[in-house]
Amino acid sequence: MPAGRPGPAAQSARRPPPLLPLLLLCVLGAPRAGSGAHTAVISPQDPTLLIGSSLQATCSVHGDPPGATAEGLYWTLNGRRLAPELSRVLNASTLALALANLNGSRQQSGDNLVCHARDGSILAGSCLYVGLPPEKPFNISCWSKNMKDLTCRWTPGAHGETFLHTNYSLKYKLRWYGQDNTCEEYHTVGPHSCHIPKDLALFTPYEIWVEATNRLGSARSDVLTLDILDVVTTDPPPDVHVSRVGGLEDQLSVRWVSPPALKDFLFQAKYQIRYRVEDSVDWKVVDDVSNQTSCRLAGLKPGTVYFVQVRCNPFGIYGSKKAGIWSEWSHPTAASTPRSERPGPGGGACEPRGGEPSSGPVRRELKQFLGWLKKHAYCSNLSFRLYDQWRAWMQKTHKTRNQDEGILPSGRRGTTRGPAR
Amino acid sequence: MSRREGSLDPQADSSISPLPHLEAKIRQTHSLARLLTKYAEQLLQEYVQHQGDPFGLPGFSPPRLPVAGLSAPAPGHAGLPAPERLRLDAAALSALQPLLDVVRRHQAELNPRAPRLLRRLEDAARQARALGAAVEAVLAALGAETRGPPAEPAAAAAAAAVAAATAATDAGVFPAKVLGLRVCGLYREWVSRTEGDLGQLVPGGPA
Repeated sequence: MPAGRPGPAAQSARRPPPLLPLLLLCVLGAPRAGSGAHTAVISPQDPTLLIGSSLQATCSVHGDPPGATAEGLYWTLNGRRLAPELSRVLNASTLALALANLNGSRQQSGDNLVCHARDGSILAGSCLYVGLPPEKPFNISCWSKNMKDLTCRWTPGAHGETFLHTNYSLKYKLRWYGQDNTCEEYHTVGPHSCHIPKDLALFTPYEIWVEATNRLGSARSDVLTLDILDVVTTDPPPDVHVSRVGGLEDQLSVRWVSPPALKDFLFQAKYQIRYRVEDSVDWKVVDDVSNQTSCRLAGLKPGTVYFVQVRCNPFGIYGSKKAGIWSEWSHPTAASTPRSERPGPGGGACEPRGGEPSSGPVRRELKQFLGWLKKHAYCSNLSFRLYDQWRAWMQKTHKTRNQDEGILPSGRRGTTRGPAR
Repeated sequence: MSRREGSLDPQADSSISPLPHLEAKIRQTHSLARLLTKYAEQLLQEYVQHQGDPFGLPGFSPPRLPVAGLSAPAPGHAGLPAPERLRLDAAALSALQPLLDVVRRHQAELNPRAPRLLRRLEDAARQARALGAAVEAVLAALGAETRGPPAEPAAAAAAAAVAAATAATDAGVFPAKVLGLRVCGLYREWVSRTEGDLGQLVPGGPA
């Protein structure tokens, strides 16, 4: 076997070719050159080389009539003729080539090194594989959708550029027992990802790693250890509805349903709402919604269309202490606030359920009281709108005070509040 | 047997007119051949692109390696009677399917990140078989014999061709690339030839 033969990635299962087909090939004629009946053999055939290394190759001509000459032969590499000074005639029938400081292969099928006769016809070819061994893959991250599967993503070492086809294999096993398993569904969420669809155990850690292999070697990532329950995500909340709150021009009501796949496990789930004005790209985020399935956005601009999305974090599932993974955002839902001449106050917040006057008896009574005041106490400036503005102001003041004290209005333990986005 | 091209009836008996369903079958098969000719051209372009230069460069002329069990349409092909031409078309298409499979398997190793190329090769193998079967159906409807050799020797010849192609690819990557180019080229030539041969049978088509 010629030196420099490509490694296992390039070799198919080899078997001695049957005699009859070879005879068929011989009867039909071996590969013939364009002129005369000369052919050649290049050595080495299909070598694999490191970037920056050198190559010594030969093209040996044979044919009928015997005595084929190396005079006039020349080389091309990927279709470009190589400088004559890189070649030399070794003997009457052999032309040698010396290449130094090789660059990475131009295509993964190999660089085409071709030996030509004087008239330009092709006598033989050999494919060069010039590249780098793989570096260690890193940054493995995994998530489980509704505890049913596991998807992992990783970053290839050296940004993946080895100039050679590099095969990545995600392996996993139960930490305390079990055999190594190989993931089979690749490229599900990008080029370096794999999906394990079933047969995953809960309450027991897995070890996960990635092996990279090419013609020049292999590399293995560090092992990631995780429990499926610590990396659970879920579907976005379905049935998100956004509606006006009566005639209030600065408020919208948002309601949704718990993701059905985990609805029996989401008593500690967290939700986030984000909203933006129709022609803006800036989202505002409301992230202290806890495990409610409704929220009222206040302090909005009147007469404005808003897009609203909701997402869910299945925090605390089966007692997991880990943060959980946010779902994708729900499909945007749009609604508009009623028009008004007076702009509402700035900022937005979700009114907590405890302090939220419903459109029920309390609000009706309040309305009646305000009407009586206007009539008998000559308070002509009183209105429901004024009442709501007061409530929004109270809400903001209350929140600011609780932030300083490190608690939320609902009395729950605090969560990380990022800036409104 | 009439040697007049364009005749649907090999006996040239004017009292026997083509059945409507035969016309429809010829038109349908001709349309299929026309579509596959376009796909074969696309396959060839995709193939040379992934092999790298000089494949695909103008003037690139590798040795026209003979492929066991299959050759290009002969220069005298157009002068043969219609049934004979169609018989040769069907035989060639049948021989192409396993060869395209060999090329696809080899390209799966050489170009594993070229899903479109691999899909086109897989489709081409299926389409060659489908077009070959459709041409045989036309021949049967014409009342002409379809295959010359019986099924077993034909299958053995196909297996031998595949083995020969595999042996040729085992000789190195460059010969395998050249063989793949040859097979894709033959596929294009034969579907195009089939389109032409069927076109001459389509009523109202070119004589």
